Formats: sequence, structure tokens, C-alpha cells
Amino acid sequence: MHLVGVSHPIQDARGKAAGRTRYAADLVLPRMAHVAMVFSTVPHGYVTSVDASQALALEGVYGVFHCFNTPEYRFNRYRSQYSQTLIPEEPVFARRVRFVGDRVAAVAARDLETARRAAALVQVEYQPLPCALTFEQALEGINCLEGESPIRDEFTMEIGTPPSLEEGLIAVTAHTELGRLHHAAMEPHVCVADYDPDLDELTLRSPNQSVHGIRTVVADMLGMPYSRVRVVKTTMGGSFGSKQEWTVEPVAAVVARQLRRPVKLVYDRAAVMRSIVCRGPMRAEMTMRFQPDGTLVSLDLDLLSDAGGYIANSSDYVHTLVGKMFRCYRIPYGRTHVRLVSSNTPVSGSFRGWSSPEVALMLEHTMEKAARVLDMDPVQLRLKNVLLPGERDPKSGLPMEEVRTRECLLLGAERFCWTEKRREDAAFNAASPRFRRGTAVACGGHGNTYYPRYNDFAGVEMRMCEDGSVQVEVSIHDHGCGTGMAFQMIVAEALELPIQQIRLKEADTAHTPFDFGCYASRGTFVVGRAAQLCALKLRDEILNVAAQKLDTTPDRLYFDGPSVRSKDSPEITLSYKDVSWYALGTLCRELTAQEKHAVRSNPGVTGTHFAHVEVDTWTGLTRVLDYLAVHDIGQSINPEMCAAQVQGAVQMGCGAALREEIEISSNGQSTCSLAKYHLMNAPDLPDIQVELIQDGRSQEGPYGAKSIGEVSFVPAAPAVAAAVNQALGSDMGRIPMTPDRIMETIAKEGR
Amino acid sequence: MKLDFFVNEEAVTLETQPQRRLLDILREDLGLTGTKEGCSEGECGACTVLLDDLAVHSCLTLAAQLQGRRVTTIEGLEKNGELDILQRCFVEEIAIQCGFCTTGMIMSAKALLLQNPHPTPEEIRTALSGNLCRCSGYVQIVKAVSRAADEMGGRV
Ligand code: FES
Ligand code: FES
Repeated sequence: MHLVGVSHPIQDARGKAAGRTRYAADLVLPRMAHVAMVFSTVPHGYVTSVDASQALALEGVYGVFHCFNTPEYRFNRYRSQYSQTLIPEEPVFARRVRFVGDRVAAVAARDLETARRAAALVQVEYQPLPCALTFEQALEGINCLEGESPIRDEFTMEIGTPPSLEEGLIAVTAHTELGRLHHAAMEPHVCVADYDPDLDELTLRSPNQSVHGIRTVVADMLGMPYSRVRVVKTTMGGSFGSKQEWTVEPVAAVVARQLRRPVKLVYDRAAVMRSIVCRGPMRAEMTMRFQPDGTLVSLDLDLLSDAGGYIANSSDYVHTLVGKMFRCYRIPYGRTHVRLVSSNTPVSGSFRGWSSPEVALMLEHTMEKAARVLDMDPVQLRLKNVLLPGERDPKSGLPMEEVRTRECLLLGAERFCWTEKRREDAAFNAASPRFRRGTAVACGGHGNTYYPRYNDFAGVEMRMCEDGSVQVEVSIHDHGCGTGMAFQMIVAEALELPIQQIRLKEADTAHTPFDFGCYASRGTFVVGRAAQLCALKLRDEILNVAAQKLDTTPDRLYFDGPSVRSKDSPEITLSYKDVSWYALGTLCRELTAQEKHAVRSNPGVTGTHFAHVEVDTWTGLTRVLDYLAVHDIGQSINPEMCAAQVQGAVQMGCGAALREEIEISSNGQSTCSLAKYHLMNAPDLPDIQVELIQDGRSQEGPYGAKSIGEVSFVPAAPAVAAAVNQALGSDMGRIPMTPDRIMETIAKEGR
Repeated sequence: MKLDFFVNEEAVTLETQPQRRLLDILREDLGLTGTKEGCSEGECGACTVLLDDLAVHSCLTLAAQLQGRRVTTIEGLEKNGELDILQRCFVEEIAIQCGFCTTGMIMSAKALLLQNPHPTPEEIRTALSGNLCRCSGYVQIVKAVSRAADEMGGRV
């Protein structure tokens, strides 16, 4: 391999460095109106009137749209496949508002400033309803109207066979409670919509994770033929799951159609934080039972989750969570009881890892406690219980294939100087009256596709140009981590062409083949594999055409770089260009290939992280001193980008463990400013080390690749949280471990 | 008000409101969309530009503060189709993912190198403390700035 496995700057790095790359907010269309939103100021209630007269009186205001003057358009923000039968629970403009930040009205004007000024002049009256802002209030059902139940979903799932004898087993129980997280993609949510009334065609441009998902939702909502709704994915300034939920697109679509002109809707940071989606809160009690030697025998999880204002994906999210429990450790028997409530708070939904990071916080917290109870070294305890090659995921039944968690643990412990660090910490803590240090490890697993929960496939088309360069049509949704470059590398590798000879644009329902979208870490594993197979098919096609030109059979020909040679006449060399010309000029057809790939596996993919922290017991502040992330990635396509993504996940995990939380005040207002929601910045973080273990290749991924984007986030917060508990000798399960919570723990436990 | 100032070394005259944000002047009035808006309140750094060689948040800088002053945006760094050394080092060190923080990050780094041509990694991290990157762990960004400083050898 000459390209795959060699680091390359991503396809648009130059444009981004120059400030030339266009994001959706940079787009300008002729006659374009700017849209500003009016959001609910009460957590629960009915909108009784909307008075837009003052807003409409402003010069340059084109219209104000709300539930009293617009057809009742409803949709489900989470629907991403035509076949999903989800209730369209969410109106574009709410009459019953369900949280502070729910959409009430949209104002369109000639410029953003006018739109915002007009939005502030819209008078909305509410008839308040009782609201639930906490788990307790939601469980009581104080926000339920007649016929509504406080428990929106409840199930028990058992996997494996229960241990025959409980006797002699050591049970360890841990409580974990997770707060709400903001994705904090630096680019806010945007949609530019354009409606052509003569053709009845709607075009939506937005940074999103599934153009076909949006198409199905918007076309069904508006009753338009799918073929008349075009969705284009724009350059994305980060997502982390937040652009997997359609929130701005339905609004922009409705306003553009009502106004019969292009519109641009840009949410500001406050709106993104409050009104789009957050990682929802969870409360868990987990019990693990071990044999005295540390072998895990069974696991019980009792989980309470809050969907927020709308159910959206929360029901699916918690169902998925159960499956994610079995992707790292050998758990002969697991029993889960889950309840889902709905409160009047921001909507919970997709977040990087889709419940794997949440379940890892629960598993690793319990594991950590178990190591103490069993008096075992945390690395040794994990080595005893991690899944090994040859074993299966008991939930899906699929083989874990060449999983390398064990190797990650061993390599990481050595590189991180695990034993020495733990010994030094103990000495440091004994001598320091103020600071406490802790070193901890955490493992976590994820998937590479949602198969076998649903069938998963991808299609790719390729055509060779007259000069032998190649155009690829594939619905990729690059989040900013260089999927585009990874795909160019995969295709260039297969065709033995230089990268610059491959052109590939992002998803556009008008041009690129059907695809489910970039989520569930399926991008490289599923779509990338389809691209590789399509390239190989194009190669066969090249040989077929070359054989016709040379009046021989393909098996008498072979590739020598990007050219075809004959086994029989060594002097003959045909370039791709020669073959392409022959196809076009003589055979009267284009050199093309079309291929699909339906997935049949979902191998184990895991990460093992090591964190070293120092807690200031006088202030409760925690510093991350040192960090190592080891990942079982199979073949990495673009290694330095993988490392950069892992480091980003660690940045996010450190924040999630120590400080990031959207809080809800007693009037239902939620944190909606980065001044109050603290991300880790450059001085907060150490030089994060990354090791990639690349010999645990997958059978199906391109060149043996497995996923990285989501799994890298899974063990991060658990490792940091465990290091804090190790430093303090505490058992905090409330995440994030903010300075206040740390001081409270110290006061309570007298450390 | 009538505003006379310089953007990327060119004289610009505009009729505008004194309280109009520099960010809107750049993006909307002048079409310089390389400067990004991530928070609108001075917290993310995506909108960073240079005002007389000092890094400022263009979302918090108003037209009234600009009279006669020099603004440099990301578009002003590239010279004759050649990226500035800092821009090139960001590309080559793989310091760019989604890119939404990148332009602001580069402008903050530019301001740093104008003040301190030989910063230590710690000084780089401090200078970039107002620029948030959600995609990375800042490792490649710090490396890119270090390398650019080395390559410039004191000439910024
Ligand atoms: S937009 Fe100016 S600092 Fe965030
Ligand atoms: S590259 Fe995405 S925020 Fe920095």
C-alpha cells in the first residue's frame, strides 16, 4: 500500500487555512431573506396568542410565521430512514410549548439585523402548564396532561444465562449520574433553503449527517415528491451528533415555501445550546458480581433517562445502550431495567458514541469500585475480563473478530508507566497536604455500523474521465475529520492513481447515490468499503476494455501502476487515458462502475485510556497532568487525522468528566452561553499521547479499517473520573466532577 | 457614520452604524467570510482578527472603534497566491479538521508571533487560550505554531 496508512492533510485543509472554504452561513443567494426565531420563554404551556403587528410594521420584514397562520406541519427530528415509523411529534411552530427554547415563530426579513429586531417585537402570550424540570418531577408526572403517562418507555432486557449460584460471588454496586452535555460544534446550526414555485422544487443546504434522512422528513412533512426535494450537505464545522437531528431544516423549508424566496436560518450559540439538542441526563445503579478471582459473572443495570421536551430518539437511544454494554467485557449475564421520562427541558438526543460513552461511565465506575473491593490492580482486573479474539458480542451474536483490548491495556500500561505512576502518586499524596494525584485506566467499546440492528449498505458510482482521472459519486457527510480525504485515499490506493486524480464531492440527493448518512461510525467501515469495492470493479472494467482494444482476454493483462500491460507482449503499455479513449471513441460508452456493499459484520473496536490527574483539595480544581489513549483501530487510513480525532475526543472527555454541564434553573432556563459552559482550552490540556494498534484488522472494512470517531470518546470521561476518585480515595458518581462537587465530597468524606 | 479604515492593507470607506459589529462589516458588507461566528460573545475566538497587529474579537469590536485603524483578516495573510507560513504549517501539521476554529486560531497565532517570535509551547497554549477547538486536543495546533515560528526565524 502506498497511500493508505500514510498521513495526509485533509482535502480542504488549504481552503480552510486560507479562509476560502464556504460553510452554509457564508452562502448568499439572490433575493435571500434572513430568518430569526422566536423561542418559548416558558417551560410548558399553550401559546394563546401571537401578536406580530409591531414586527410586521418594521421596514424590510417579509413575514412572521407561527402556529396560528401556518398549516400544522409536524415532523420527527430523529427520522433518518424512510422505513422508520416514528410519530411526527414535533410541530414546526409549537402551540403547546414543551421547554424554554421550543420554537414559537419565525421572522423573515431582508437582513439578519432587521429579522432579529422584528423577532424581539413579536408578542407571545402563554397559558402556563405545570412543568417538570427534574427526574423526580417527571416521575411524578406533574407535566402530564390527561392520557399521558410519566413513563414514556420502560423495558427489561436479559442477555445470557444467570449464574446458577449467587453464593460466593462478590457484588459491587455503583451509582452514576450524568448531566446534560452540549456538543459545542464550533459551527452553529444553519440551513439555506430555496424554493422554486414554478417547478415546485425545494433545495436545502445545511451541514448535516444525512441528506436522505432530511429529505424523507421534509418531503413527507410538506407532501412533496422526494425527487423534488434536494438536500445538499455543506462543509461542516463539527457535529458530534448534533447535526443528526433535523431542527433548522424543517423551519427553513416551511418559510422558504411560504415566502417563495430563498431563506437563510442561522442559530446563534444560545439557540444552539437551548433549542437544538443535548446529551440527555441519566441516573444509573449498576451491580456487578464477580468470582473472588475477579472474573465478572453478571451485571444488573437499573437506568432512568430523561428525553427532555420531545421523545425524539431517546427511546431508541436507551435500547441501543443495552447492546453497547457488551462490546468490551465478557459479561455472561446482563439484566437491564430501563425507564424513560420526559421533562420540560432541552431535548436529549444523539451524542458522539450514541450511549457507548454513557454506558462506559457506568461500567468503568463499577469496575473501579470492584478493583478496590477485590483488592486487585485495575489493569489486571480488566485483563481478566476483556473480550478476546474468537469471542462474540452476546447481544448481536456477531464475532468480535480480531479485537485488541488486551493489547491496548498491556501496551498502555507500559507506555504510561502505570505501576511507577501509581506508586509515585501514593508517595506524593502521603507528602502533600493540599494536592492529591491519581492515575486510572478505562476501556470502552463501540461499533462500526448499526448492523445487525438494521440492515446497512452503501452504494458508490464511478466514472473515468477522458484523461484517466476518476469522478466518484458517493454520499459522504464529512464532519470535518477528513472523510473526504480518507475516501480519496481508499479509491486512489485501489486504482493506483495519485490522490489528485480522484474527485469526490459530498452528499447531494440530486446527484449522489442513496445513503443512510454518516452516523453510527459507519462512514469508513461501510461506505468506505463500498468505495473500495467500486474502485476494484472499475479496475476490472478497465481490463475488460483494454482486452477488447488489444484483442485478447483480461486474464492475459495485468496492472503496472496506473497502466495496463500485456503478459504476451511486454512492449505494450496502455494508460488509463488510452483505455478511456478507446471506450468512448470506439466502444461508444463511458468507463463506469457501480457497486453496493451490504454489511455482514460488526467487529469489536475498543479504546483504552490512561489518565493522570491532580486535584487541588483547597479549591476542588482538577488538572489533567498526563494522558494516553490507545486504540484498536484495525488499519488506520489517515493515521495523523485519526490521532487528531482521538485527541479531540480526549479534550471532550476531560470536559465531560470535570466541568461541562448544561444546568436547568428553577424557572426552566438552561445554560446557554459558552461563558457558563466551559470547554477545555489549550492551556487546560497536556500533550495528549495516542497509540494506534493496527494489527486487529476487520474482515470487512476497507483495508481492514475499523471505526475511530466515536469510540475514541467512549473511555475518555471514565478514565478522568476514575483518576479523580483514585486521587481522593472517593466514590463520586455524579458527573461532571465540578470543583463544587469535589469540595462537597471532600467535606463529607473528610479528605 | 462615515467609516474610513484599512482592511488587509486596502483603504475602505463605508457608511455604517457606529454600533455595527466589525464581524458583520467583514462578513456581510465586505464579503470576507473567512472570519467566523461561533458564539457572538467573545468566548470562542472564531471571529479573531488583527486590529493594528493585536488580536481582537470582531464580534465585540464596533464600527465606532475602527476609524483610521488597520484590520487584518485571514484573507490578508495569503500573498500572491502563497499561503502565509502559519497557514501552511497548519495544513502540513494536520492541525485542521472541521476548520471552523482555524482562521481565528491562525490570527491569534499571528498576533502572538508578532509580539513574541520565539514562543515556548506553554506561551503558545496561553496565547491560544481564547480560541476554542472542539475537534482536536490542540496538539497539532501547538506544533504548527511552533514550527511556523521556527521557519520564520524571527521574521513575521
Ligand atoms: S464569535 Fe467572537 S468570540 Fe466567538
Ligand atoms: S478544527 Fe473543528 S473546531 Fe477546530
